[in-house]
Amino acid sequence: MFANVSALDGSLYFTISLFFVLASFAGYFIFLFTGNKTISRISFGILIAGFIIQTAGFVIRWIYAYKIGIDTPPLVDLYDSMVFFAYVIILGFILIRIFYDFDALGFIITLVASLALAFASFSPLAPSAIEPTIPALQSYWLLYHIVALFLSYGAFGASFGLGILYLIKSGKSNKKQGRFLTLLPSSNIIEEAIYKVIVFGLVFLTAGIVIGAAWADSAWGGYWSWDPKETWSLITFLTYMLFIHARFTKGWGGKKMAWIAVIGFVVVIFCYLGVDLIIPGLHSYATPGSAPLL
Amino acid sequence: MIMTMLSKLNKFLSSVKLAIFLFIAIAVFAMVGTFINQGDTISRYKSIFGSQTYHVLYWLGFLNIYDSWYFIGLAVLLIINLIMASVNILPRTLKAVFGPYPSFKAMMDKKNPKAVYEVIESKKNIEEIKKTLNKKFGKPFTEKGNKDGANIELYYSKNAIFRFSPFIAHFSVIIIIIGVMLNFRYGFRSYTNIKVGEKTNVSYLLKNQKPIKLPFIIRLDKYETKYYPDGIPKSYISKISIIKKRTHTNVLTKNVMVNHPLTYDGITIYQASYGQYKPTKVIVRILVLNLKEPKFRKYVYAETGKAYPAGIDNLNFRFIPYKNPKRDEIPFYLKILKANKKNGTVKTILFHVLPDKNLKEQIVFAKYKHAAFIYSGIDKVKTYYYSGVEISKNTYVSIVWIGSIILVISMFFSFFFNHEEVWGSLTNLEDEKKVRVEILAIPKKKFESFYRNFSKKIEIIKKELKLK
Repeated sequence: MFANVSALDGSLYFTISLFFVLASFAGYFIFLFTGNKTISRISFGILIAGFIIQTAGFVIRWIYAYKIGIDTPPLVDLYDSMVFFAYVIILGFILIRIFYDFDALGFIITLVASLALAFASFSPLAPSAIEPTIPALQSYWLLYHIVALFLSYGAFGASFGLGILYLIKSGKSNKKQGRFLTLLPSSNIIEEAIYKVIVFGLVFLTAGIVIGAAWADSAWGGYWSWDPKETWSLITFLTYMLFIHARFTKGWGGKKMAWIAVIGFVVVIFCYLGVDLIIPGLHSYATPGSAPLL
Repeated sequence: MIMTMLSKLNKFLSSVKLAIFLFIAIAVFAMVGTFINQGDTISRYKSIFGSQTYHVLYWLGFLNIYDSWYFIGLAVLLIINLIMASVNILPRTLKAVFGPYPSFKAMMDKKNPKAVYEVIESKKNIEEIKKTLNKKFGKPFTEKGNKDGANIELYYSKNAIFRFSPFIAHFSVIIIIIGVMLNFRYGFRSYTNIKVGEKTNVSYLLKNQKPIKLPFIIRLDKYETKYYPDGIPKSYISKISIIKKRTHTNVLTKNVMVNHPLTYDGITIYQASYGQYKPTKVIVRILVLNLKEPKFRKYVYAETGKAYPAGIDNLNFRFIPYKNPKRDEIPFYLKILKANKKNGTVKTILFHVLPDKNLKEQIVFAKYKHAAFIYSGIDKVKTYYYSGVEISKNTYVSIVWIGSIILVISMFFSFFFNHEEVWGSLTNLEDEKKVRVEILAIPKKKFESFYRNFSKKIEIIKKELKLK
């Protein structure tokens, strides 16, 4: 019975994809110590397979939701949002990997994606059953709001990984370079990638916040209410604004920028999950059964 | 003296460093506001933090931080910073787009750390060299030769128009802020609770609970919650009518739901909450029986407080609620009056629950002589709802949206479209019958990909220039 439901609503496919992502993670882990290019290529292939399975999962889940009479996309509760987060972060890595030789990043991305998928699949906090959408979320704004913000979350996730790589690389650049470090692209390339990924995320973050404000204007009575989630999205926005502007000041080299990329993602994670777990507000996925508004 | 001070002030107010400081400061204070519940009641704060901590927090302005003088002060400073920065960027941007463009020599003298400089010597003639360079860098924007034709300066510029995008991005934030301020000044956000069937034209401001008068009357005709089969609420629906003040005519009636507000005369009504209330006026169906006449049956829909004839012995009765009913107690009692006496109460009698366990519903009765009064559960009669609506005047919000759209678009262009400039200098070295080709490029961003692409181009140019 359980297996039946999970196959129907698509959640089975996400659980399966978790094993692909884990396998890919293991491959990238081995790659870190051996530098074997074949292994990293295989890992990338497995990851793409996992990504395709997830894509199928989304299609099936969406169709299933419509079939059972829920006419908003299944993206609203904690389970769906974690799965979607893993999805966009993998997508981000695949895109970066196509343009740059960034195999070492795969290790961090698959780790973050595995954690998100494992939490979604096995945590009792995130049941996979599709719940009917509460009135506050029944809006065509929902899809655009969530997709824009998750694209930005994915990009910021990637910049976090790149930031860590940069810090590892620059921290030991003058001492002897271990195998892992020689596998990394040069600091300059990482720095450029961090910038490009962050500005991509920043455009979508801004768009997502604006869409959210427009939605709030049509649903809650005003475009801005200093709701904790809104406030934290502003804090996230300011953090990355800091990143963009700090480039123009002297003394802000690559290392500080990498730190902002890392800290920025911590802020993102707090905005995404921490706000729900710690502060109740109009947005909420983390507290099951609590209706935002009404 | 004053001029240098002003220029220093200008430099400070338009500096990126100030912007960075403000980003951090605003973020930190905004954070504080999310951890301390804003705008709660004093008693609640005291119970959470204790009296002493409460006073400290109050003094720091942490309990209403987004309205505190320093938070608004930081925002104002950011606006000044933004305006000053925009004003300062503009002449530079205009010059970069429309000229006069800096010469090769001027750029060389600047010794920009990002610059790349290449020298190639070629035996080809100047026209051929120009052709080769144009193939790689596009059409020269300007071409300046000195009098004897011994030297030509070339200036290539691509995507110059995108130099405006950062300026437009900053300007759009100013537009947004203007929209927000106009909205703050001329708009309002308020809420009011209306009971089903009742009207109001008073609403209470969210920020200070002060009542305001609406330019029209709203009436709640009906309230309903719809549920999914598993009991999760599907929609909250308030049927609301707008009534004109002077003529008292019904202008329009609409179902207001979450995500589906009603806008009339620039004012928008949103579904915000609902609830049930204990009515002050209740209508209960009462069955009157005459114990001497088994066939006598009379139903009376009794409103509380009003007198109704029982139809027995010229008796009237009044149905009266207790002011503070205790739980599990019958919330009413009866007053019996003689019909011909004015306001004279004959007797007050109490209701009792009929002690019969076989009955599905609780039946309550009262008896006066041979008249019996019976009713069963008032909940059955009617549920009394009120609906909480938020009433907002969101004027000038369109300015905010226009600014936001411009912001997103201009951010996209500032991040992904760079102004590319290349300076070339071709000098005839007469005695050696060679041309010295100097190429200088300064990227906007110090990116590895730029240098790589540039050196690729130089490789190709070198190859072509060396061919005979």
